[in-house]
This record gives sequence, structure tokens and C-alpha cells, in this order.
Amino acid sequence: MKHKALLTALTATVVLSACSVGQGDIQQSGDATAKKEITFLVFETPNLTPQVWDAAIKRVTDKYPGISVKKLVSPSEDRVSYAKQLLASGQFPDVMIAVSPAGFAESGAMAPFTPDELKDFAFPNNGAVKGKVYQLPTNTQTIPVVYYNKELFAKAGIDAPPKTYAELLDASAKLKAKGITPFVVGGGKDPFASTLAWTATLATDLYARTPDWMAKRRAGTVTFQDPDFVKATNKFADLAKNGYIDKKDISRDYAATEQAFLDGKGAMYPMGNWFAAAGDDAKRKPKWEIGAFNWPSDDGAPVVPAFTGGGISVSATAKNLPEAKKFALAYTLDKANLDNSVHNDGLYPAIKGYTPPSDTGAVFKLGYDLYQQGVRNDSVVQAFGWEAGDDGMPPGLVDKWRAAAQDLITGGRTVEQVTASLDDEWAKAS
Amino acid sequence: MAVNVKSTPVRTSATHRSRRSRSRSAERIRSFTLFGAPGLLVYACFVLAPIAISFGYSLTDHNPFNPPTEFVGLRNYRMLFTDEEFLTSLRVTTILTVIVVVVPNVAGLGIAVLLDRRGWFYNAMRTVFFTPMVLSSVVVSIVWTRMLDDEGLVNQALRAIGVDRPPGWLSDPGLALYSIASILSWQMLGFCVVVYLAGLQGVPRELTEAAEIDGAGPIRRFRSVTWPLLAPALTINTVVLLISAFKIFDHIQVITHGGPGTGTTATIAYNVLQTGLVANRQGYASAMAIVMLLIIAVAAAVTLRVLNRREVNL
Repeated sequence: MKHKALLTALTATVVLSACSVGQGDIQQSGDATAKKEITFLVFETPNLTPQVWDAAIKRVTDKYPGISVKKLVSPSEDRVSYAKQLLASGQFPDVMIAVSPAGFAESGAMAPFTPDELKDFAFPNNGAVKGKVYQLPTNTQTIPVVYYNKELFAKAGIDAPPKTYAELLDASAKLKAKGITPFVVGGGKDPFASTLAWTATLATDLYARTPDWMAKRRAGTVTFQDPDFVKATNKFADLAKNGYIDKKDISRDYAATEQAFLDGKGAMYPMGNWFAAAGDDAKRKPKWEIGAFNWPSDDGAPVVPAFTGGGISVSATAKNLPEAKKFALAYTLDKANLDNSVHNDGLYPAIKGYTPPSDTGAVFKLGYDLYQQGVRNDSVVQAFGWEAGDDGMPPGLVDKWRAAAQDLITGGRTVEQVTASLDDEWAKAS
Repeated sequence: MAVNVKSTPVRTSATHRSRRSRSRSAERIRSFTLFGAPGLLVYACFVLAPIAISFGYSLTDHNPFNPPTEFVGLRNYRMLFTDEEFLTSLRVTTILTVIVVVVPNVAGLGIAVLLDRRGWFYNAMRTVFFTPMVLSSVVVSIVWTRMLDDEGLVNQALRAIGVDRPPGWLSDPGLALYSIASILSWQMLGFCVVVYLAGLQGVPRELTEAAEIDGAGPIRRFRSVTWPLLAPALTINTVVLLISAFKIFDHIQVITHGGPGTGTTATIAYNVLQTGLVANRQGYASAMAIVMLLIIAVAAAVTLRVLNRREVNL
């Protein structure tokens, strides 16, 4: 009897507490002045520090005081895997930056942007998935620009940057003869650093001839074993075979690779234009002068491989979806944020009417001018391995392609084996 | 003092005995439930349930980005045995495990024997050997990546002594796996040293003294007295190293990302993560994880059984 009474009292207490909690919630959400909270997934790098993110977020929340932002920080730079974990555990962030929409978009996890929301973007349809854009096409990156060491070029008797592929090979031979490693590459935990020269040959020999090659690969009308892909791959493999790429360099991670070039351990550094952030950094700037050129094609016709995307995406199930989208657009279009992305990451904002600040460094200007020339003469093509959405490879295949680049550098597999295996992997991943 | 208890025959009925026995059983169950339930509950929630869920997924083609999920029976398991990538990772993991079980065990025993003395120097050396064990595997990986780089300390030292073209420790596909095995062995060495030291300190001095009096030399004393009594330490070290090495992931992720090239250092655990979280084939990745679990369980059970037979009771 006594127990029953106690149980009744306990039950009543629990029920009443639940009711009062519910009432409190209702009151809070019913408050018209209450801020609408959104979660924002970011990642930190030496350039993108917590202070940089906080200041950027504050600029937007100052403009929209009705929005409050809870910042989530990815435990590593691999924010895509982290976003997948968050999605799987029911904690998908409302807003996330630089998370490729591949997979998320098709499964309905991300909300598409409307044409009206994309009206300020220079390439509003870039990275579209089945015709809809899920990631704001905020920045353009040219991948790669070939940065070179003018001092080492002069030492090898090379007066000007090569204009054709034959001249590039000639310059490489001269550098090697002087005991200078022609190309600086990397790898290790950052295998993308092994692939830049391959992206370059695929731009000049594949995408320049067939700009929609990836769409055709999806449709099954071309394969990795087709002549253009094989030719570009042979060019890349031959660079290693001829000793123009030192196969030992593929154990070096990205940071060490960048430093190796700045330390003068090689003459040419094919890398994304974000290298400008390091090349223009007063503390890291080398004493010798850095030059830049686009990877030359056989006949010298200009080809500029580039990728536009990398911006913010919004969850389709965000509790406050309109606010999440408002924040995404305000954050992206904020002039100070765009200027910071130029200074901190060497990016080219792809926003209509935007011009980079006048105080950008010399290395940034070199890459930017090459890109602008590419835009003017309509020679911008996709950067292989960096495409997104319908233009990208199926999930997981980019890693296989990067590993294949290392196989070609080390001689672990032949071009025939690599191209055949990429077709096999594509079939598995599709 | 011996106490004689005179047993008095008590006449109890069968019903009474049975009731008492039932009451004892109920009490035992109550006690077991009270004390064991929290542990069992935690174990069930955080170990058994995830395994069961993974097994469930392994029978499907689950891809969170490509619904709907369909039941495929044992297809994922059948595919594993013809999947070149999985078989390569199994080979890589096996080589890594064999090296990591043998090298720290042998070196750890040798160092423990050398350090089994009193004095500040030996205490300091024990700390030195144990330090890598407490370091984060990511820190260890970063430090060793820098050291084994072509321009790193190791190759600089080799060049200083006249080696013109020192090896590419992490860039040569034929060497990278052994370099990683060496890093792991270095990190696990401290653990083995400590366990063997504990074992050595548990060897009764009178036994070694008796053997010495009987004319046994140091080697014979070690082989016939010390080594058999170190059997529990060997069991602990071997099983811990076996399990740790078989599920290694973090070193691979930080140092080589599974390369150089295709799969040269990709372990099963690394492959599971890549397949599940990068390629999104979570049903297939679950099948890999279940196979890995079975291999570890069988290997650990066999090792325990074999090594337990060697153990002696004093």
C-alpha cells in the first residue's frame, strides 16, 4: 500500500514535470523576439582559424540579429566524412561550408537553391546535381597553375616559361641535367598532392577536346581506356619515368610539399591557386622570385583548368530553413568575407561584380591574371578530380584515382592497368 | 585446533529441501541481477547491439545516399572473397600483425631483462621505453612521417655516413608497410617491456637461487626457470599486440593514407572506413567489419588457448 502511494506520487511528479517542461518550450518558441538558432559546420586550417570563423559569423549575425549561430567544428579537415557521421546520427548541421553535395543531394539531405537565390553568382549552375544547385558556387580555383622558381630556371638556362608541351619537356630535361628536380609533388596523408600534373595533362588532352567528358562517362559512351585519357595518362606517367618527378616525394604531405617548393627543392610546382596564400605570406616568402604559367598544351593553345564551387550548403531538414538559407547567402555575399577568402585562401570569388581587393600579393595576381585571360579567351575547362555534382566522379572514385596517380609515379602499375582498373572501380561505385 | 562436528541426522522432507534449494537459486539470481545487470546492460548496449546491427547491415546493400536498402543475404560475404582490394588488405593486415606481434615481444623481453635491476638509471630507462605508449598515435605518426621523409632525419643521417641514395621509407611501395610496422613496433615496445618487467619481478628468487646452486648457468636458469614463469606475460603481450595490430587504422590514415599507390598499406580497418564513409557502401563495409571481427576473435582465442597451456602454477 505504502509502495503504491509512493509510486503514484512519483508518477504524478514526473507527469507534472513533463507538462511544465512542455509549457516552457511552448512559451519560448512562442516568443516572437526569440532568436532562430542554426548550426553551422566549419573546419579549421592554419589560415582558417577559430577567430576568422567567429568574426565572419558575427558580421552576418550583426546584420541579422534574429539569427543565432551554433558553430560546429569538424575534428579534421575531412568535413565531408564528418558531415556523413552527423547525418547518420541524426545531427546533420543546418548549414555547412565546403561539403561536397555528392550523395547528400541525391538522398534529399540538402536543400536546393532557387535561381533567384543564385542570381548574384557568376556561374550559378556549377556543381548542379540533376539540374539543381545544392552548394553555392562561391569561389573559383584554378587547378593547377604551374608556379616556378625563376632563379632555378635561370640556373638551367631557361629564359622564359614554356609555351608548348615540347618546351615544357625541354625545360625539364635542362633542369634535370643541372641536378634540379623539375617538378615538386607530394602525397603521404594528402594524396591529392600527387595528382596535380595529371589533372593538368587531362585538362590539355581530354577536357580541352571533350569538355563534357565526365557526363559522357556517366552515360557510358566513353571509358578511361579511350585514346585521349590514355594519352594524358601516358604524359603524366612519362614525367615520372624520365625522372622529372622524384618518386620519393610522394611520402611528403601537402604542407611539407609546399615548404619544399618554397625552400627551392624543385623548380616547378603545379598546385591550386590557393598556394598564393603561402607564396605571398611575408613570413614564408622566398628570396627568389616566383613565376607562374598555365600547363602548356601540345600546340600552345591556352587551357585553364578550374573548379567553381566549394561554398555553403543547407540541410533540407533544417529547423529554421528560411533563416539557414538567409544566413548562407548573407555569409557568402558579405564583401569582407569574400575579401578574407582572397587574402586567407587565395580564392577567386565567383560573384557578379566582385573585384579582389587592391592589396593582394604578387603571387595571387599572377594566378588571377592567368585565370582572367582564360575567361577572356574561353579556355577554362574542368579540373579533373575536382569536379562536383553531375560533373564529378561517383563517391569513392576520386581516392582510387589519386592512388592510381601514385602507382604511375612509382611504376607500381602500368597505364593500361590503371585505366582498366578505373573503369572497374567506376562500375563498382555506380 | 581440530573441531569435531558431530553430524546430527536431520529429517527433512523432500518438499522442504526442494523449497530451500529453489529459494537459494532465486537469491543467487537476484544477486546476480543486482550486481551483474549494469555491466551486462552496458556490454549489451555498446558491444553486442552494435555488432548485431552491423551484422544486420552486412546482409543488405545499405547506402545511406542511395535508398532504398534491400536485403541481399550473403552476397556481400561472397563478394569479399573475390574482391582484390579486400584480399590485399587482408594480406597487408596479416603481415603487419605478424611483425607487430613478434618484434615488440622479442625486443621487449630483451630490454626487460636488461632493465630488471634496481637504481635510478633503470627507473629512468623504464620511463623512456614506456613514453611512446602514452603518446597519441597521431602525434607518433606525424613525428615519424617527418623522420622517415626523404629529407628527414633518418635519410640525413644515412647521407652523412655516405649513402648516396637512401631508401624511400614511406614512398617505396615495397618498403612502406615495413616502415609502418616498425613505427607500430616502436610504439608498442614500452607496453611489452612493462608487462615483462612485472613478470620478471614475480619470479621467486629462491627458484633461481636453487637452480644456481644446482649449477645452472644464466642461460639455463633463464630457459628453465624464468621463461616458463613468464608465460602469463607472454600471453598478455601477444593477445594485446594481436588485437591492436589487426585493427590498426589511425597510423595508416595519418602516414600513408593507404598508399603509396593502391592499397600497399591499406589495412582491413582502413578499408572498412573508406568503403563505408567515403564510397558510402555501408552494407559491404559492415560485412568487412564482421569478417575482421571473426578473424580477430578466432586468432585471439587460438592464441590464448595455445599460450595458456604453457602457463604453470607455482
